[in-house]
Amino acid sequence: MRHLVLEDWSRKESWLHARDPRAKLMAAVALLLAIGTSPAGSPSRLAGYALLLLAGVIIADLPVRGVWLRACVVLPFAGVFGVLAWLAGEPGRAAAVGVKSYLSAWTLVLLAATTPLPALLRGLASFGVPRFLLIVIQLLYRYLFVIAEQAHHMRLAAASRGGGFRLRSRQGWRAGAGAVATLFARSHARAEAIHRAMLARGYRGEFPLASPPRFGLGDALLSLWASAAAAALRLA
Amino acid sequence: MHIPDGFLTVPVWAGLAAVSVPLVGVAARRAQGEAEENRIPLLGVMGAFVFGAQMVNFPLAPGTSGHLFGGALLACTLGPASAVVVMTAVLAIQALVFQDGGVLALGANVFNMALVGVVAGYLPYWLWGQGAGRDLAVATGGFLSVMASATLALTELRLSGVVIPPAALWLALGVFALNAVAEGLITLLVVRSLDRLHPGWIRRADAPRSAAVKTVLGASVALAVIGLAVASAAPDGLDRLAEELGISDRSRILWETPLSDYQARFLPPGWLQQAAAGLAGISLAGACVAAVAKLLSRRRSA
Repeated sequence: MRHLVLEDWSRKESWLHARDPRAKLMAAVALLLAIGTSPAGSPSRLAGYALLLLAGVIIADLPVRGVWLRACVVLPFAGVFGVLAWLAGEPGRAAAVGVKSYLSAWTLVLLAATTPLPALLRGLASFGVPRFLLIVIQLLYRYLFVIAEQAHHMRLAAASRGGGFRLRSRQGWRAGAGAVATLFARSHARAEAIHRAMLARGYRGEFPLASPPRFGLGDALLSLWASAAAAALRLA
Repeated sequence: MHIPDGFLTVPVWAGLAAVSVPLVGVAARRAQGEAEENRIPLLGVMGAFVFGAQMVNFPLAPGTSGHLFGGALLACTLGPASAVVVMTAVLAIQALVFQDGGVLALGANVFNMALVGVVAGYLPYWLWGQGAGRDLAVATGGFLSVMASATLALTELRLSGVVIPPAALWLALGVFALNAVAEGLITLLVVRSLDRLHPGWIRRADAPRSAAVKTVLGASVALAVIGLAVASAAPDGLDRLAEELGISDRSRILWETPLSDYQARFLPPGWLQQAAAGLAGISLAGACVAAVAKLLSRRRSA
């Protein structure tokens, strides 16, 4: 499963990658809280957060430009509301909200790029998120690219038959609905096959839980440093 | 509409997270307890199916296309509790892996799309899903699901002080309505196709038998959606109305409560005060809803 560049990044080796997921979660939430509650009109404070995040990216040995580009996913949303606020005569506020949401996205990219999803979910489990939900999330992620590829193949097949999903007519809607229903049926069949395979491998209705690694000195230091830096910047 | 981090104020996201977390917990326990034993792989794969289904485009207007959002479809096929779990898992993956929607804002996004989106999508089907009215109920569910999620997101943004001029609001509501109509149609068409493929996949709706309960529930959903739409489009309308009627001074005295203007008076000012007021208000509303639900269920079982 190498469809996402984040997958590759999250399997690198660095001091930040080696830290306990719980420590990274705590650090990320502290940073998100500080960024989210910062008032508009404090560019130096926002620059401080950016420097902190940049340090994280460098420690984690990630490509700086790649991380910046990935965090751009929030720009369409931020852009729409930024333009609206600017039209309403509040350009300063528009810029602040845009920068804050970009920095928040950057924090999330850094978290996801240093922590593989299974580790992240294990961290969430020790914060009390229901196991059932986490197992569903993990299975979803496991089959996400399988099903998406199936949808892509169906799209190709339809296009090569001269149809495709872009017909502007009732036919187009029918074909689309048929495709979704077929995908549903195939997903159902796949779920059953998965379940049989699980039974064959000894599944008895319980998922064994990997024991969480020890929360070491480095992990404690990371969560302390990040929280202290975020709090200092926020309150300065 | 996935709200990223940085837009919502603390009282809004914290309040909605405080509501979403226990409700998702209840849904997870119910979904886990349901009979079919292949439930866990089914829910996971259905979450992946939502991603795949969103790659299928439907022509909306020249130059634009829409796609299925899925809340109502999942509710009609997997049941509401499982649908809530699947949609929550979808939103979690979108936030954690694709940075689509924030992590602090995840509670709000789950509330809008996984909880309200699924419940609003399921209610019409639950109430009128048997017999002749089924098709209309399915389509209405799809419409309500998207409309309710979108207006809620808009309302939360406005509550957080995001500036949206009235003209843009109406435009946004129009776009949402178009998407909601499309969702209703797509959901209906897919349900019909599934009927031909395997009728057993569409759950039988076990509606409450009392016509009075049906009417009250239906009316409250309609009122909530209309009210939300109006409130998000013209939040100052009520204030203006009060001013024009000359009751604003009197009403201020009437409404001088510990939580007035979304601030708890007895706490130090600032966001802490707002957060406390938001949490208290939402817990109050949640307690009312829980009490009404308990009353209704007791009456039904009696």
